[in-house]
Amino acid sequence: MATTVTEPGLERVERLGRIWVEPRGLLGWLRTTDHKRIGLLYFFTTLAFFGAGGIEALLMRTQLAQPNEKVLSPETYDQLMTMHGVTMIFLFVIPMTTGAFGNYLIPLMIGARDMAFPRMNALSYWLFLASGLFMYASVFMHVAPNAGWFDYVPLALKEFNPGRNIDFYALGLIFNAVSSTAAAINFIVTIFKLRAPGMSINRMPLFCFAMLAVSLSLIFALPSLTIDLVYLELQRNLGFHFFDVAHGGDALLWQHLFWLFGHPEVYIIILPAFGIATSIIPTFSKRKMIAFPLVALAELLVAFIGFGVWAHHMFATGLPTITLVFFAAASMMVVIPSSIQVFAWTVTVALGRPEFRAPLLFIGGFIVFFVLGGLTGIMFAAIPFDQATTDTYFVVAHFHFIIFGAAVFPILGGMYYWFPKVTGRLYHEGLAKLSFWLTFLGTALTFFPMHIIGLLGMPRRVYTYPSSLGWGAYNLSETIGAFILTAGLLLIFGNLLYSRFRGAPAGPDPFFGGTLEWATTSPPPPYNFPVIPTVTSAYPNWDAEDRQADLRRLERGELVLDKGHETPASTVVDAVPDEVLEMPGESPWPLAVAVCTGLLFIMLLTQHYAVAGVFAGFALLCVAAWHAKEPQES
Amino acid sequence: MNALPYSGEATTAAAVARVEQGRLARPNGWWGMALFVATEATLFGTIIGTYFYLRFNNLHWPPPGVPEPKLTLPLVLTGLLVATSVPVQFAVVTASRGQLARARAALLLAAIVQAGYLGMQLHLFVHDVHEFPPSGSAYSSIYFTMLGAHHLHVFVGILLIFWILLRTATGLTSYRMNGLRATAFYWYFVNVLALCVVGTQLSPLA
Amino acid sequence: MRLSARYLDPEFLQWFGLFGAALTWTVQLVVGFGVTVARCGPANAVLGVDVKAWELTLMGTGIALALLAEAAALNILWQTRNVDYGGPPPEGRRHFFALAASIGNVLFLVVIVLSGTGAVFHQPCTQS
Repeated sequence: MATTVTEPGLERVERLGRIWVEPRGLLGWLRTTDHKRIGLLYFFTTLAFFGAGGIEALLMRTQLAQPNEKVLSPETYDQLMTMHGVTMIFLFVIPMTTGAFGNYLIPLMIGARDMAFPRMNALSYWLFLASGLFMYASVFMHVAPNAGWFDYVPLALKEFNPGRNIDFYALGLIFNAVSSTAAAINFIVTIFKLRAPGMSINRMPLFCFAMLAVSLSLIFALPSLTIDLVYLELQRNLGFHFFDVAHGGDALLWQHLFWLFGHPEVYIIILPAFGIATSIIPTFSKRKMIAFPLVALAELLVAFIGFGVWAHHMFATGLPTITLVFFAAASMMVVIPSSIQVFAWTVTVALGRPEFRAPLLFIGGFIVFFVLGGLTGIMFAAIPFDQATTDTYFVVAHFHFIIFGAAVFPILGGMYYWFPKVTGRLYHEGLAKLSFWLTFLGTALTFFPMHIIGLLGMPRRVYTYPSSLGWGAYNLSETIGAFILTAGLLLIFGNLLYSRFRGAPAGPDPFFGGTLEWATTSPPPPYNFPVIPTVTSAYPNWDAEDRQADLRRLERGELVLDKGHETPASTVVDAVPDEVLEMPGESPWPLAVAVCTGLLFIMLLTQHYAVAGVFAGFALLCVAAWHAKEPQES
Repeated sequence: MNALPYSGEATTAAAVARVEQGRLARPNGWWGMALFVATEATLFGTIIGTYFYLRFNNLHWPPPGVPEPKLTLPLVLTGLLVATSVPVQFAVVTASRGQLARARAALLLAAIVQAGYLGMQLHLFVHDVHEFPPSGSAYSSIYFTMLGAHHLHVFVGILLIFWILLRTATGLTSYRMNGLRATAFYWYFVNVLALCVVGTQLSPLA
Repeated sequence: MRLSARYLDPEFLQWFGLFGAALTWTVQLVVGFGVTVARCGPANAVLGVDVKAWELTLMGTGIALALLAEAAALNILWQTRNVDYGGPPPEGRRHFFALAASIGNVLFLVVIVLSGTGAVFHQPCTQS
C-alpha cells in the first residue's frame, strides 16, 4: 500500500532503523537474534538436508528399479532408508515449516517486532544445526543408524546392533528434541503475548492457529520420544532392562512410547501445510476463508485427537481387541476435522474469484494428494484392513502422498508465495507453473504405483525383490517418477535463484494479501513495522482505514516505540496492550551454549560421562552469562 | 495507547511493586517457564506411565529378591520438600510488594531445606543401587530412572533459587521479579511431582 | 438450562464448553487403555480387573460430561447469536469459541461412545 510519510514520521523510521539494524558480515550472522535472519538460516540449512534426504531416496529408488539389483548392499540400504526417514522428518520438514516459515512469518503476521525470546530463537537454530551435523557424522563414519526411523527393539538393542549406529540415532534425536522444544515454547509465548493490539484470538491468522497447534503438539509429544530414547541408551550402555521380557520388560513398550510421539509428529508435519494453504487460498480467491472458526478449530482438533490414535501403528502386534478399539475409534474421528478443512478450502475457492498463479496451483496439488492420502489413511483405521496391508508398500504410498504430496507441496507453494516478501522480487510465473506440473507429475508417478504393488504384496523396507512376482514394471516407473520429481524440484529452485537476482521488483503487496506481513515493505525492515498496527478483523491488510490510522499514529509518534529495541506485549486472549518490552539484540551466547551442548552429546556418545558433565557445566555457565545483562541495561 | 508501562525500567523494589500491581497479564518469562513445566510434566507422565505399564506386565512387583519400598522415610522427606512451597510463595508475595529482604530470607530457608532433602535422597539412592541394581530387573530400572529424574529436577530447582539469590543481592528489578515468579512456578511443579513420584514409588505397598 | 446459566459466569461456560469434552475423552482414553493393559497382562492374576465395570463407568461419565460441555457451548452460542465471530472481545471472541466448541464436542461425544462400546462389547483379551 502507498505510504506517504512526512518529516516527523521519516525521522522516527530512521531512528528505528538505527536501533534495530544488525551488523553485516559473518559475526553479525553468528550473533544474530533477528527472527528473519534466523528464518533464513533455517531455510538454507533445511534445504541442504532436503538435498541429502533426496539423494538417499534416489539411491534407494535406483536400487529398487529392477529386481535383484546389486547397486547397494543390504547394510547400506538399511542405513540409507533410516537416514532418509530421519533426515526428511527431523532435519527437513519440521525445521523448514517451523524454523523457516514459522520464524520468519509469525512476528510479521501478528504485528510484532520480534519473537518473545530472540536469543532462545537463535539457540534453537544452532542446536538444530549441531544435531544435524552430529547425526550426519555417523554417515561419514559408515555407522549411520540402520534400524529404520522408528528404530524398533529388539533390533536396536546392543545384542543385535552392537555398533554406534543406534547411539548416534538416540543421542542425535534427543539433541534435536531440545532444539524443537525451545522453538515450540518460543512460538507459543510469542503467539500468546505479542499479538498487536486488537488481535484477539478470534482475529488471529489461520497460519498462527496452525503454528500454535504444531507448537503445542511438539511440547506434549517430544517427551515421549525423549524418554524412549533415554530408556534405549540406558539399556544399551548401562545394562538397564526396559525392553527385554526375561527381566520383566516388554518390547512393545518401545512401540507405545515411540508412536505416542510418532503419531502427533505426523500431524506436526502436516499442520503447517494447512496453515500455508489457509494463507494462500484467501489471497488468490480474493475472499475470506469460509467457516473461519471451524477451520481454526479443525487445526487444533486434528492435533489434539492425534494424541489418542498412536496404537493404530500397532494393530498387527497382537494387542487385545479391547485395547485396540480406543485407537480405531479415534482414528476414524480424526478424519472429520480434516474433511471440514478440505470443504472450507474448496468452497472458498469456488465462491471466490480464483487466480491460479503458481502458489494456488501447488495448493491444488496439495488438496488432490491430501484427499487421496487421507482416504487411504482412513482405510487403515479399520483393523482388519490394516492387518492385511501392514508392512506393505500400500503404507509407503499413503504416507508419501501425505508427507510429500500434502506437506511438501504447500512448502513449495509457500516458497513462491512469500518469495516476493522475503526478497523484494517477483518469481518468473511461467516457469513456476511449469515447475508445478513437472513436480505434480513426478510425485504421482513415483507414489501412486506403490498403492498397487502394496496390494500385490510387496513388503516395505526390502532392499530388493525377486523377478517372478511382476513388481518390476511398477518399481521402474516409480524410479522414473522420482527422477521427474527431482527435475521439477530443481526447476523450482532454479527459478527462485534466477528470480532472486533478475526478478521484477515486487513492492510490499503484489498479491493483495489480507494478513499483516503484506502491510510492510519487501523485504521487511529489521523492525518489521514502523508503527505497531492495531487490528479490528482477521484480515487486517484488507482494512484500509485501519492501515491509514496506523500512518497517522506514525506522525503522532503513538505506538512507534522508538526509544529502544522495543515491542509491546498484550493479554493472552483479547490482546489488550499491557506493557512495552525491551528486547535483546545480538548475542554470542546462543552459539556458545549450542557448542557446549554439542560437545556434551559427543562425550555421551563416546561414553566419557565425566567430561560430558564438565561440558554441561560450561553450558550452564554460558546460560548464566546470557542472563547477566538485563534488558533495561542494554 | 502510548501510556503503556515500560516494566523493564523498574529497577527499585518500590517501582517493581507498582509494576506488579498494574500488570494485566502474566509476564513472558512466566509463560516460558509454564510451557517448559508442561514438557517436563509430560516427561514424568510417560515415566510414571512406564512404571505402571511394566507393573501390569509382571505378576510379582517388586520381583522376587527385590525388597519392597520403605514407607516412612520417603513420605517424611517428601513432606519436607512440599512444605518449602510455603517460603517460596512467601518470597513471591513479599517481593511483589517490594519487601526484598524478607523474600531473600525465605528463599534461603527454602534452599537449605531442599538441599538437605536432596542430600538425604541421594544417600538413599546410592544405598538402593547397591542393594537392587538397575541391571537386575525392569522394576529397578524404572525405579531408579524415575527417582533419578526427579532428583535431577530438584537439583536444577536449587540452582535456580541460588541464581535468584545471587542476582537479587544488588537489589530488585522487574527482570529479577519475573525470574523469581518463574522459579516459584517451577518449584510448585517439582513439589507436585514429588507427591506423584512418591505415590508411584510406594504403590506396591497398596 | 437457561435459568441455571444465568447464575453461571459466561467466561467459565465458554472455557468449559471448549475444553470439557476434550479433557473427558483424554481421561477416558488414558484410563480406559490402562485398564485393558492391566486386565490382559500377567498381573491380572493379582489385580483382578473388572474391565467391563471400569469401561462402562468411564463411558457413562464421559457421555455426561461431554453433554454438559456441549450444553455450555450452545448456551454461549445462543447468548452471542447476534455477534460476528470476528467482532470485538469479549462477545466476538466468545461467539468464535462457542461455534468451534459446539462442533468439536459432538466429535468427542462420538469417540467416547465408540470407544466405550468397543471396549465393553469385545471379549477381554481376545486378539483381532
